[in-house]
Amino acid sequence: MNVLFRGLLAGLLVWPLLLSAEQTKESETGVKEEVQTLKQQVLELNRDLFLLEEELLFPSNTQVSVFVSMDVGEFFQLDSVEVKIDGKQVADYLYTKRELDALIRGGVQRIHIGNLPTGEHELVALFIGKGPKGRDYKRGATTTFKKGLGPKYVELKIVDQTKNYQPEFDIKEW
Amino acid sequence: MPLRTLQLLLLSAWLTTTPGQAARDKPQQVQDLHYGEVLFHFYQEDYFTAISHLMVAQHQDVLQHHRDESELLLGGLQLSYGMLDQAEQQFGALLNTETKTDAELHDRVWYYLTKINYQRGKYEKAHKTLVEINDPGDKRIRAELAVLDANINMALGNNEAAAEALKEARAPEGWEEYLLINRGIAELRAGNIEQGRKTLDKLGKDRAANEELRALRDRANLGLGYELLRAGDAEQARKYLNRVRLQGPFMQSALLGAGWSDVERGDYQQALTPWLHLLKTSSHQPATHEARLAVPYAFGQLGDQARSVYYYEQAIDYFEKEQQLLESAIQTTENGTMLSLLSQAETGTSGGWLQQNPTLKGVPSGHYLVDVLSGHNFQESLKDYRDLGYLTELLNDWLDNIDIYYDMVDTRRQAYEVRAPAVRKRLENQEAIALQERWQYYRDLVTTERSEGNPLNLATGKEKQQWKTLKAAGEKLAALPDEPRYRLMKAKAQWLQGVLYWQIQADYKSRLWEIEKQLAELQTPVEESVRMHQQVETALGSIQDGFTGYDERIEALRSRILGLLPAIDAARGNASGHLQQLALDELEVRKQRLISYRNQARYALARSYDQLATGGDDQP
Repeated sequence: MNVLFRGLLAGLLVWPLLLSAEQTKESETGVKEEVQTLKQQVLELNRDLFLLEEELLFPSNTQVSVFVSMDVGEFFQLDSVEVKIDGKQVADYLYTKRELDALIRGGVQRIHIGNLPTGEHELVALFIGKGPKGRDYKRGATTTFKKGLGPKYVELKIVDQTKNYQPEFDIKEW
Repeated sequence: MPLRTLQLLLLSAWLTTTPGQAARDKPQQVQDLHYGEVLFHFYQEDYFTAISHLMVAQHQDVLQHHRDESELLLGGLQLSYGMLDQAEQQFGALLNTETKTDAELHDRVWYYLTKINYQRGKYEKAHKTLVEINDPGDKRIRAELAVLDANINMALGNNEAAAEALKEARAPEGWEEYLLINRGIAELRAGNIEQGRKTLDKLGKDRAANEELRALRDRANLGLGYELLRAGDAEQARKYLNRVRLQGPFMQSALLGAGWSDVERGDYQQALTPWLHLLKTSSHQPATHEARLAVPYAFGQLGDQARSVYYYEQAIDYFEKEQQLLESAIQTTENGTMLSLLSQAETGTSGGWLQQNPTLKGVPSGHYLVDVLSGHNFQESLKDYRDLGYLTELLNDWLDNIDIYYDMVDTRRQAYEVRAPAVRKRLENQEAIALQERWQYYRDLVTTERSEGNPLNLATGKEKQQWKTLKAAGEKLAALPDEPRYRLMKAKAQWLQGVLYWQIQADYKSRLWEIEKQLAELQTPVEESVRMHQQVETALGSIQDGFTGYDERIEALRSRILGLLPAIDAARGNASGHLQQLALDELEVRKQRLISYRNQARYALARSYDQLATGGDDQP
C-alpha cells in the first residue's frame, strides 16, 4: 500500500471520535475562565439592577403581573393573547413556535407587568388560535380581581379538556 | 433532530422534573409562577435571561414550592451557559446539603457533575462520579447515561466497556439510530470488526426519515467502509462506500475511498471512475485534494504515463493556485477581516449556538474561513465572543436606564417636597376622624331614638319651625283671658299642633328607617376615608424611602457597570485574538498539507518523466 493511502487511513481513523456525543474537551485557556467570571459578575449585577428597576417602576403595593400558561395544547394551538384591564389594553402578544413549545413544556410567560391602585379591577383575556380540527378559534375569559397591598399575580390558563375534546380557558388569582 | 437538541431535551428532562416525576412526557407542573417563568426562558435556550430570573426569584423568596429544583436548575443553567466552574460549585453544594434526604436529586446532581467532568476532559473523575448514579427508572435517562458512560469509556480507551454499555441500553423512540451508531463505533474501536459491522450495517440499510438521519446513515456506511478498507477487506469496503449518497455531505470521502477499494483489488481502471468524478467537484476538501494525486497515480499504474504526467501537472498547478488562495486567506485573517466576520455573529441574544454561520461575501478565499468556522473549537470560542458582546450591549442599555432612574427618583423627591406640606396640613386637621365622629353621633342618636321614640326628634326643619311657632302661639294664647274668642283660638292652635304631631308621627317609622339606611350606606365610605387617612399618613411617613438611599444605590450600580465594561471589552479582545489564532492555525495546517501534496506531486511527476525517458519500466 502506498504512502498516500496509509496517510489517508491514518487520518480517517479518528472519525469515530467525531461522532461521539458532545466530546467537548474544554480548552484550558485563560479566555474561558475570564469569560465565566465575567458572566457571573454581570449576572449578579443584572439581578441587582432588575430588583432596582422593579422597585422603582412597579412597587409591590401597586404591582400587578399577568402570566400565561398552557398544558399539552392538543385541542388548541395558540396564536396570540390580548389582555385588557379595566377596559384598557395592556398586552397583545403574538407567539413564536419556540415560545409555544416552551409553554407546552411547562414554561409560564409573564405577559404583562404594570401598576394598579388597590381595589377591584376587571380583566378580560382574549385567546386567538386554532381549535379542534384546525378551525379558527377565538375565546374570551373575564374575571374581577381585588388588588390589595402586596403584588398581585393573575394566571391565564389554557387547559385541554379531554372529556369534551375542547380547550378550556381559566383565570386564576395567586 | 439535531444532536444538540436531543442533549438539551435530556438535560431539561432531568433538570426540570420533580423527584418522582422524572422525564415523563407530561409537561412540568409549576406551583410557583416565577419558577415557570424561568422554565419559559430555559426551554427557549435563553440561558442568561433564565438565570437572571431565577436569581431574582431566589432573592425575592418566591420559589417556596420549587426550592430544591431551583437550585438544581441553576446549576444546569450555568452548565448550559458555559459557566462550568459555577455549575460545579453549585452542584457540589447541593450534594453536601439537600441530597442527603433525596436519592433522586442525589442522582441528578451526580449526573451533572459527571457531565461537567466529561466536558472538561477529566475522564477518570467523570468515570468515578458516574458510578455514583443509581439506575434511573426512566428509559430516556437510562439511554442518556449509557451514551455518557460509553463516551467516557471511549475517551479512557475502554472501548469494550463502551460497547457493552451501549449494547445493554434500550433506546427510546427517535433515539435508536444515535445509540446504534455510537455502539457501532465503540465495537469497531474495540477491534470487534464483525460485530461493529453488523451494528452499522443495520443502520446503513435502514430507510432514513429525514436529512439528518440520512446523513447519519452515510456516516455509518463511510466509517464502516474505511474500517474494512483498513482491515484489508476491500471488496466489502466498496459495498458500504457505494451506499453513501452522492448528494450528501460525505460524498467526497466516499468517492475517494471507493477508488482506493478498487486499487486494493488491483482494478486501477475502475478506481478512476470515482476519482475523476471527484475532480469535477469544486470542493476544497482534503478528499478532493487527494484525488488530484490519486488520478495520475492510477494512470501511472495503468501504464498511461502521458496522462499521468498531464494530471500531475494539473495537480501541481491546482495546488499552487490553492496555496496562493490560502495565503491570501491567511493574510485576510491577519488583516482583521476575521473581526468584521465576527461582527456578523452579533445576534443580540445570549447563549445557544448560531443557527447559521456568518457568510463571507466578497472576502477572497472566504470558503476556507467558512470551513474553519464550522469547526467545534471555533464555534465554542465564538459562543464566548458572542456572549461577551451580548453582555456589553446589556450593560450599555442599563447604563442608559440608570439616568432615567435618577430622574425618576428626583421627580419623586420634588413632588414630595411640593405636595407633602399641604397633605400634612390636611392630615393634621383630622378631617376623616371628624367625619367618623359625626357619623357616630348620628348613629347614637338613632339608637336612642329606637329606645325612646320621640317623633319630634326626626321632624324636618320646616316641621320643627312650625312646631315651634304653634308652641309659642299656644303659650301666648294661654296667657290671654279666658274668653270665648280666645278659647276658639286656643282650640284651633291645639288642633293644628295635634295635626302637625300626627303628621310627624305618621312619618316617624319611615324616617327612622331612612336615616338608618343612610347611616348604613355611609358607614363604608366613612371607614374608607379613615383608612385612607391612615394610609396617607403611613405613606407620608414612608414615602421618603422611595427616594432616600436610592441615589447611593444607583450610583453603586453605575460604578459596577462602568467597572465591568472595560473588563468585558478586554476579554472580548482576547477572545477575538484567540479566534483569529484558531483560524490562522487551521489555515496553516491546510497550507502545509497543500505544500506536502504539491511536493508529492512534483516528486511523482519527476518519476513519471524518468519513466517516460526510460521506456516506462519503473513503477512509481
